[in-house]
Amino acid sequence: MSGVAAIAEGVASGAAPAAGVARETGERLRHSAGLNATLHWSQGLLDRDAARIDRLPIEERKALPLAGVPVAIKDNIVTTDEPTTCGSRILEGYVSPFDATVVAHLKAAGAIISCKTNLDEFAMGSSTEHSAWGRVKHPLDQARVPGGSSGGSAALVAAGVVPAALGSETGGSVRQPASFCGVVGVKPSYGRVSRFGLVAFGSSLDQVSVFGRTVDDAARVLAVISGQDRNDATSAAQPAVSLEPARKDLKGLTFGIPREYMPADLDAGVRAGIDLTVKAIKDLGGTVKDVTLPHTRFAVPCYYIVAPAEAAANLARYDGVRYGQRRIGSEGDVRALYRATRGQGFGAEVRRRILIGTYVLSSGYYDAYYRKAQQVRALLADDFRRVFDAGVDLLLTPTTPTPAFKAGEKTEDPVAMYLADIFTCSLNLAALPAMSLPIGRSGGLPVGAQLVAPMFAEARMLSVAAALEAALDASREVR
Amino acid sequence: MSIRREDVLHVARLAELDVAETDLPKLVEQMGRIVGFVEQLNEVPAGEEAPPFLAGPGRTPLRTDEVAPVPLVRPPSAIAPEFIHGFFAVPRLGAMEGE
Amino acid sequence: MSWETVIGLEVHVQLLTHSKMFCGCSTRFGSEPNTQVCPVCLGLPGALPVPNAHAIELATRAALALGCKVQETSVFARKNYFYPDLPKGYQISQFDQPLAVRGSMEIESPERGRIAIGVTRLHVEEDAGKSLHDRLPGKTAIDLNRAGTPLAEIVSEPDLRSPAEARAYLTRLKQLLLYCQVSDCNMEEGSLRVDANNSTRRLGDTRLGTKTEVKNMNSFANVERALTVERDRQIRLVEGGGRVEQVTMLFNAGSGEVRPMRSKEESHDYRYFPDPDLPPLVLTRLWIEQQHAALPEMPDARRDRFMTVLGLPAYDAGVLSAERPIADYYEAVVAEGAEPKAAANWVMTEVLRGYNDTGEFAVSPQWLAGLLEAVRDGTVSNQAAKQVYVARAGRGSLSVTVEMRGTGKVSEVSPRQLAAKLGLIQVGDADALGSWVDEVIAANPKEVGRYKAGETKLLGFFQGQVMKKSAGKADPKKVGALLAERLGSKK
Repeated sequence: MSGVAAIAEGVASGAAPAAGVARETGERLRHSAGLNATLHWSQGLLDRDAARIDRLPIEERKALPLAGVPVAIKDNIVTTDEPTTCGSRILEGYVSPFDATVVAHLKAAGAIISCKTNLDEFAMGSSTEHSAWGRVKHPLDQARVPGGSSGGSAALVAAGVVPAALGSETGGSVRQPASFCGVVGVKPSYGRVSRFGLVAFGSSLDQVSVFGRTVDDAARVLAVISGQDRNDATSAAQPAVSLEPARKDLKGLTFGIPREYMPADLDAGVRAGIDLTVKAIKDLGGTVKDVTLPHTRFAVPCYYIVAPAEAAANLARYDGVRYGQRRIGSEGDVRALYRATRGQGFGAEVRRRILIGTYVLSSGYYDAYYRKAQQVRALLADDFRRVFDAGVDLLLTPTTPTPAFKAGEKTEDPVAMYLADIFTCSLNLAALPAMSLPIGRSGGLPVGAQLVAPMFAEARMLSVAAALEAALDASREVR
Repeated sequence: MSIRREDVLHVARLAELDVAETDLPKLVEQMGRIVGFVEQLNEVPAGEEAPPFLAGPGRTPLRTDEVAPVPLVRPPSAIAPEFIHGFFAVPRLGAMEGE
Repeated sequence: MSWETVIGLEVHVQLLTHSKMFCGCSTRFGSEPNTQVCPVCLGLPGALPVPNAHAIELATRAALALGCKVQETSVFARKNYFYPDLPKGYQISQFDQPLAVRGSMEIESPERGRIAIGVTRLHVEEDAGKSLHDRLPGKTAIDLNRAGTPLAEIVSEPDLRSPAEARAYLTRLKQLLLYCQVSDCNMEEGSLRVDANNSTRRLGDTRLGTKTEVKNMNSFANVERALTVERDRQIRLVEGGGRVEQVTMLFNAGSGEVRPMRSKEESHDYRYFPDPDLPPLVLTRLWIEQQHAALPEMPDARRDRFMTVLGLPAYDAGVLSAERPIADYYEAVVAEGAEPKAAANWVMTEVLRGYNDTGEFAVSPQWLAGLLEAVRDGTVSNQAAKQVYVARAGRGSLSVTVEMRGTGKVSEVSPRQLAAKLGLIQVGDADALGSWVDEVIAANPKEVGRYKAGETKLLGFFQGQVMKKSAGKADPKKVGALLAERLGSKK
């Protein structure tokens, strides 16, 4: 399967029309059905959208940066053509009356929305085992998880069904599955991409994020979907992310490795992957140094106060009154409507997070938990600020503590699952741009390295990643 | 601080979520574990300060006061579970009456 | 044992904007249900709020008119609770960092005279939708047209001491807010809502007693009625040794009763926290000062100016400054050259009567000024002028047009033209008056004799006779002068 640029070139020039792309994408979707990565798609829509692109005069097609490119969309980003369920029974059959801003951008750029992908329910999870429609399987080992919550999008890109996909991040839900599946996953700075149309989970953490087969694929999609949106008051006064050519070397750049992200008990394969990456950086002329982010160990507990608190309020709208599924309890009044709709419509993980979130905001507990978490969040953000102010250009860390784990391994203990976010959630808390780059294999399973940049420095981060991508062979064993 | 059954039932009421009696013991235990986990934050001294952090912009943008709604490609009747004579319909208020 | 009643009021007013607080839907009243809705005010998955600049302006002006300190930084907060017409399951409001704090308003208390009532805070928030319980059998019908309408919530200090004072507070608040044109303040239409808190304590005690909250009053008079009932109930209770419980009560306009809400209400835990979808509301000191400068002259200042500059007595100045449209109208009449006291008389009577009936001004200030000018120069008598006014006010403007001969242009008939049309032009011609006066004197020799003998009040009789003879057209002032002259000279 070709990358974003090649597909767009072929469609724009007419050499490889969108109709053919649509046909092939449909075949690949059918062929990969066993992964359970998709929730909604139709050949009819693929063909309709492709025909629309092919019918345009050539000058107009050439102006479309993503002409005919099939992009998969996580099913918590609203679309008017296909349902949006967020992987939950409570939204079964819901078809949004408006498109997310990012979807409108993709359409305006000529992209084809290929399908809606499976996810952990309401984006709450790190394995995509918490969907009402079953778990997603890892393309390289079906007994394993692809990561989560954007596991469906990650799996489709890894399986070569589409060259790029949208996911969303709150605590690492694109970087972590990107690392597990061996694809590129990019989380922008908070506010760089509009959240209008992204179903809210943790509002101060959420960002639409991008998967790509390569850095270039992800960068091209990010360039199209980013930029200020007047429908999102938290969107930053920043232009769209610009596309920069890949750097030829890394001379003059300093990479910091925070010691807290390299614990002694780090998985050997992951450690070997970081060592390889360090060598590549040095070979390209970059400098590597040891840095410290002292409050790192508080990131996960801080996250698991802030995110559930915001989620509890964000999910209060799912009450069976105006949309979605409804159930009515035995008393038959409106309270019974709420309690049965929500009690039965939400899965166990979502219910747990709503209850935790309600608890930490409730009278008597707000100061001890939520206010405390705000204090810790400020300290975490400050750790990063100090390091960048001291002359570090980028940070390098593992993305995940281990390669993809087996399905069922962590579902019994919620806290064990939470710790999968250990290297990623600090960046959502600090609002910084971060990405995962596949750097090799460990026992056949992909291993990723994480790059972190200062606020709004996505273009620099991507051009550095492209240089490393060229220098490393992601299909090779790290040891 | 440990979570009791009453605490879980109380927040379930606040969140309008039915919790089946059979699920309750396991839920109490899991929530206890989670709360115990997040209480690690108490190891951060109260006096340890950093500049207050806002994830997004420092000030909210404001909208011009004009009638320009985000259009709906399908009307409320198309998405509502129950829509009668132009209204969303819900069962009688019952316990919520008089609020 | 003497008891003191302590009352505080929470007032919600709808702000006069074209669009809603956080989305671009129209706020127009009376549309078909659920037609002024969008993803944001429907609370659809993925929707986000963006605040309305004009709503902030209006709320700021209201706060300044109430003497509040407007905060340069304030924060939107989520107030979390479930109700069928609350689409998101939370209301976007403000909590511990509101738009404005610490204001005060002077009112005329029937019991204590002129007093200052503290305003604790003013903040902005969005309205909920409407729940209709009798529209669909066995169900509740929800209309979300109103959901998201901008509201300002104004909370008073518990400084009020009687139901009558509460009513005076509301009357004054409405006056100030109407002056600033921030809201219609119409309780019957729902653009102003009141929740009243009432508690009781021993006279001299400084701690506050337990309060009850009274809701569901739809007029200022009913607020006073409801609070009277609740005040009396609490006093009877504590006099009998009982204790007031903190409950929410509903007023029933039909029965005049105040009853606790049927459901055993757990006090709400709203779990307020700053709304992560909205960065802080930051206003510059300069902008706030500009809003202050943009405030209209407030009623008290206007009244004082009517007295000191225009020379009106206190009563007139008070009536004319009470409502801004009247005050603006009056000043427009004076600006056209009318004499202030004469204009005041006319506006307080003829004009105000019509305005109170219809909500409109029947004639333009320019037209009225022209009529008053005609009275001043003697073209019509004051009595006749009233007839001219009524004639003009009674018809639509199109039926009192004249076509300018030759040009074909149509314009509004002037006061003088209308007076002429109605045959009300005063006769001031000395010869005509002189001959009528002479006729009357000749016809009433007995009365003339009595007048010369000292019954000078008979002048009124002679005047009446001349007016009758002239069919009301004689200029009474000139008649009076002529009579005095001729009666005085005939011996």
